[in-house]
Amino acid sequence: MSTRTPEPDRVALLQGTLDLLILRTLIFGPQHGQGIARTIEQQAEDALLVDHGSLYPALQRLEARGWIGAEWGTSDNNRKARFYTLTKAGRKQLTAQTQQWRRLAAAIGRVLGPEEA
Amino acid sequence: MWWRKRRTDEDYSREIDAHLALEADRLAADGQSPDAARDAARRRFGNTVAAQERFHEANHWMWLEQLAQDLRYAVRGLWRSPAFTATTVLTLAVGLGLVTVVFAIFNAYVLRPFAVRDPYQLHVIAWSAPDAYGGSFRWSEYQELRGRQDLFSDVIAESTRYVLSNNGPVAAAFVSGNYFEALGARVLLGRPLASFDASAPGGSPVAVLSDEGWARFFDRDPAVLGKSLELNGERFVIVGVMRPEFSGLDDTPRDLWIPVTMYGAVAKQDLFGPTQPREMVIVARLAAGVTAEHVQSALTPVMRRIAERADVRAEARLQATPNPLSLWLITTLSPVFAAFLLVLVAACANVSNVMLARANARHREIAMRLSLGASRGRLVRQLLTEGLLIAALSGLAALALATATLRFGTALFFATLPPSISGLVRVVPFDLDRRVFLFALLVASGATLLFALAPALRATRLSLTHALRGQPSATTRAATLRNGLVASQVAVSLVLLVSAVTLARNGVAVGATNLGFQTAGVVSVNQRGQAGSFIQQAAEALAADARVAAVAVTSRNPLFGEFPKLPVKATHASDVVATSLMFVSPEYFPMLHIPIVRGRAFRPDEARAETRVGIISAAGARALWPGADPLGKVVRIPIEAAAPRNGEVRRIDRLATDASSESADVLIVGVAKDVVSGLVFEGQDTSHLYLPTSPTGSRAAAILVTGHAPQDVGPHALQTILRKANPDPFIFEIVPLDEMRQAQMYPLRTASWIGSLLGAIALVLSVSGLYGVLTYTLSQRTREIGIRMALGATAATVVRMVMTQSARLAGVGAAIGLMVALAVMKVLSTLIPFQNVSVLDAGAFAASLALVALATALAAYAPARRATRVDPSETLRAEG
Repeated sequence: MSTRTPEPDRVALLQGTLDLLILRTLIFGPQHGQGIARTIEQQAEDALLVDHGSLYPALQRLEARGWIGAEWGTSDNNRKARFYTLTKAGRKQLTAQTQQWRRLAAAIGRVLGPEEA
Repeated sequence: MWWRKRRTDEDYSREIDAHLALEADRLAADGQSPDAARDAARRRFGNTVAAQERFHEANHWMWLEQLAQDLRYAVRGLWRSPAFTATTVLTLAVGLGLVTVVFAIFNAYVLRPFAVRDPYQLHVIAWSAPDAYGGSFRWSEYQELRGRQDLFSDVIAESTRYVLSNNGPVAAAFVSGNYFEALGARVLLGRPLASFDASAPGGSPVAVLSDEGWARFFDRDPAVLGKSLELNGERFVIVGVMRPEFSGLDDTPRDLWIPVTMYGAVAKQDLFGPTQPREMVIVARLAAGVTAEHVQSALTPVMRRIAERADVRAEARLQATPNPLSLWLITTLSPVFAAFLLVLVAACANVSNVMLARANARHREIAMRLSLGASRGRLVRQLLTEGLLIAALSGLAALALATATLRFGTALFFATLPPSISGLVRVVPFDLDRRVFLFALLVASGATLLFALAPALRATRLSLTHALRGQPSATTRAATLRNGLVASQVAVSLVLLVSAVTLARNGVAVGATNLGFQTAGVVSVNQRGQAGSFIQQAAEALAADARVAAVAVTSRNPLFGEFPKLPVKATHASDVVATSLMFVSPEYFPMLHIPIVRGRAFRPDEARAETRVGIISAAGARALWPGADPLGKVVRIPIEAAAPRNGEVRRIDRLATDASSESADVLIVGVAKDVVSGLVFEGQDTSHLYLPTSPTGSRAAAILVTGHAPQDVGPHALQTILRKANPDPFIFEIVPLDEMRQAQMYPLRTASWIGSLLGAIALVLSVSGLYGVLTYTLSQRTREIGIRMALGATAATVVRMVMTQSARLAGVGAAIGLMVALAVMKVLSTLIPFQNVSVLDAGAFAASLALVALATALAAYAPARRATRVDPSETLRAEG
């Protein structure tokens, strides 16, 4: 775990949400670790902070569960990198987790009430 | 997933490097300098080493590394406490060793297949009828079966008998020429017998030794080939020695094998002539695709012709091991297995207690490790590793112990057998083969779980704050476990002691049984095999010798097993009385000092004619004619016209009730005193009828002989006399009746010895267990005892307190043991119907209870005394 304090305008990821975001990112095709981190940050418009150190254990975990596959390949700028792809099981998992997350977020939103000005 | 190829650490770190490079590329593209970009990427990633370690720990090699670590730790720990190591390893080794001994014997007699090619193809060929069984055949019958190539791929024949060499008995197998080739058994030296050895009668005096024979007659001389051995006066040249793992096709190891063509020269009998004796046992390999059922139906007509009976069925019985494994066998042996397993359980309980105490003594260390972040599972694994190491060490010790016990036990067995019998007994070699090793391994690992798991789980469940302050927590629950273990040990030892004392008391009772006749100086002569009767010649040769005082003939000598009981009926009565039947010559009663209490003995003319007159035992007279005078009364007995002599072995446990057997009326002329004719532990005959016979009679089948002095009828003297009746001295079996009585006692005596040994071991284990637990708990309670003594408790009070507590503990164990023993004995008493044996023996229960009480009291007294030597002021200061 990184011991640095995150930059003030960025939010650290909630426990368990990284897996979901990784699966979501891979829906657009194979991607390497650095690319995944980059994509998540860009799509969240840099509001989320992906801890690179915990990204790889997460990838390892997903691979062990059979939700993603991995293969060495070459990046756009000709560097060797390990590319991850979404498996069929991963795709199913993504659908299930997305729905779960949406319900959870909605519920929490209702409890917290309307956003303050 | 687990079956997918695992990633290496290297691959993982390459990925991290790739990430850092890509990230640096991106930052550089954003305008940073390459160096700054690399640093930023690294910062962004955090601790790369930690990431790699996390990956490494998830890797599957981790447990192996930890195991190695645990093993190193366990070895160091055991090395540092040699007393603990020695105690536990030895205790466990005794338990494991005993169980291994039993398994090794079971393995040798039941599980181990013969060391031949494809042992599971071998079938013994025989025939059976409802009341008879035949397993011996003529040479011509063997030839006929050998020709059945539609059924068999190989058929071998053998005849095993004792022959004489240097005045000692030799178990010799006369085998057909194809024997070794068909079996594919391997030699250690020289060559096996081959078909050319058995090409012509008398042509080839050669022999192949078994390991046993090699050791017995040549002291395992490596230059034995070409040396010779005399068998019944014929000289045989040794041409080979078999490997120790092959000793013949049943549970009686042979000393040597010789060609069947030498049968006439050694046994003085012609196997191949016009009147062939039934001497050959036939074993066949079934042809490809042929089943035993098919052989049985195909051979049944052949067997009907051979046995000359219509109700005969052929048998082809699988014979791959000395004794076939069956449910019946396992049930019969299960009490024995259970007794040995109980000792192992007691040993495990003992070790478990010691481990528990050790773990408790290390609670500070364990607490330290827990607080430094070791997981509980990891610590349990570590403590289990220690247990595993102890189990492995004691497993090795147990194998050594088992080998020594088997060797010593075999020697003891032969040394304690009656002399006329021990020369004839052969035991199969009890090698510790891979089955025994596997068994020892399994039991040792099972034992580890039994003795190490509970203490490990217990020791790691502690409250950190208490433990670090030096106060063991969870003491009450640990105490429950400890007390439970001690109580179970007491229970086990009580069960074993009750069995042992019951066996021993029965042994004494049976040994002291009054047979009702005199065995001293009386020697029994039985004829072996069914090859014609030489009883008349033998009786005449004996009677003619000046050294012999008296000769009697019988249909069967007393003390040679149970007599079959026939339904006998008094005329004009409706009820039959199961009565055993025995033909004796008139000399029988005076020779054995059996008084005729009423009426008269047999007259010589009745004996010669085998007249239908009888002498009934006193108990029989009471049963047949209650309250009436038996003299002059008539009984009707079912009896066959003549004793069959065509190779059948009569089943003796069946009443001959079928209509085919004739019945005869017998006039009672006398009443004899009750005696024990059959089994000593069966007690006196309930009803026994004597009928007359003589050496020339058709019923004479065995001889009893007395001499003027004991040495006159010694084995050598008798053998010389009997050689006049038949040149083969080993056709007659010579056993003094005293030794036969001893032989009957032998199993009971052995059982009571083994039972006592197990009981003693269990008692020692529970005493040392109780002693250890008390020593430990009292050492934990020094402070409490110090306070009590400071408050005025005397030494006697403290001793009483400790003794009461241990008595309560032993009491619980004894109560459980008593109930189990009672249940076991109740079941056994229904299974063992012998009159002279009392299974449910109150005396045995009382004696065992007293013994357990005494032993536990002794075990408790020393620690209790030690506890009172506490100096109150010192203990209070030390821990205050």
